[in-house]
Amino acid sequence: MTRTLLVHCHPDPASFGAATRDRAVEALRARGDEVRVTDLYAAGFDPVMSAEERDRHLEPGPDPSVAEYAADLQWCEQIVLVYPTWWSGQPAMLKGWIDRVWVRDVAFDLPPESRRIHARLRNVRRIVAITTHGSTKLVNVLEGEVGKRMVTRTLRAVCHPLTRTTWLAMYGMDTATAEQRRAFLDKIGRALR
Amino acid sequence: MTSSPMRVLIVTARPREDSYNHAVSEAVERGFRKAGHDVTTLDLYAIGFVPAMSAAEHAAYDSEQPLIDPMTAAHGELVRQAEVLAFVYPTWWSGPPAMLRGWLERVMVAGVAFTFDEEGKVHPALSNVRRIVGVSTYGAPWTYVKLMQDGGRRMLTRALRMNCGLRTPTTWLGLYSMDTQGDAERRAFLDRVEHSMAHLHQGRR
Repeated sequence: MTRTLLVHCHPDPASFGAATRDRAVEALRARGDEVRVTDLYAAGFDPVMSAEERDRHLEPGPDPSVAEYAADLQWCEQIVLVYPTWWSGQPAMLKGWIDRVWVRDVAFDLPPESRRIHARLRNVRRIVAITTHGSTKLVNVLEGEVGKRMVTRTLRAVCHPLTRTTWLAMYGMDTATAEQRRAFLDKIGRALR
Repeated sequence: MTSSPMRVLIVTARPREDSYNHAVSEAVERGFRKAGHDVTTLDLYAIGFVPAMSAAEHAAYDSEQPLIDPMTAAHGELVRQAEVLAFVYPTWWSGPPAMLRGWLERVMVAGVAFTFDEEGKVHPALSNVRRIVGVSTYGAPWTYVKLMQDGGRRMLTRALRMNCGLRTPTTWLGLYSMDTQGDAERRAFLDRVEHSMAHLHQGRR
């Protein structure tokens, strides 16, 4: 029973992104994961870190308004992020969830005299990203794959040292056929089996 | 060597008015003004910009008029007029705060940053932009930022730049290990930023 936190980010509840989320949840539950789903848009999450919150960002613990999100993050063994790639990375809504929830004493420690953060999410062993790109793989490579680096480097760096990352991406969404979309859903089902 | 005056659009995103990052954006502005450029600053926190793209906006994204909010429409017009785009922000988790990401997502749409052709392919439309400038403050040391590959810098100097002319140059200035820098280093960075902005070589379209 892997404890899985799935975070979904898409403004349109009827998007293809929602279909990818549903396929992922179905596959995870079928194999026996305990899944908690956070739908940031549906929850009306506020992605803006306020001045007051920023003031205390080096204090321990999350802002009370995001305490439940932080508890989910500390509970899970696996994180599944489902989002569309915009401007080569995670949408503002999802970035705001990272900005506000992945804070000191939740995601990292900052010991006195230390110049860098130390991993605290040792509960997390796997991160999966499920994302769609309007542009092609080639364009994304030229752009430096910012969203992929965010997952495989920046977020992974504060998780367990042996954390595996899985990148499930569909490219060329803007010109994709119905068949290519179906194939991507099947790929998600197989990868999370 | 300085050149003829250019229209500069500075976009800033940091929560606190009294923060060091605020002083950095003031230095950016001072430098541009010193060189005689025509400067407009969008302080996204101060104007209460909403970063999350709404469902209605997402639905309008592929339409003839994707800028359905008067604020994003006005910002889109500023972008179309700009010859220099300058971004000033603290780097959080390898990238700009959600506030700035959301601004790009909502303002840099079809008709501003690019156009869609009949097959749905994207073509650059920021031919008015002669240079992209980024100035950021980082909590992490330079080596760590490089290891994580600085997503914010890549987004602005690659993804956004791809929508400008082929030879549009970029300028990037960063202050690393922010939290352990002394007053002297911080002051020196402000001077360096102001000086660089006052002496930017005119970019190419």
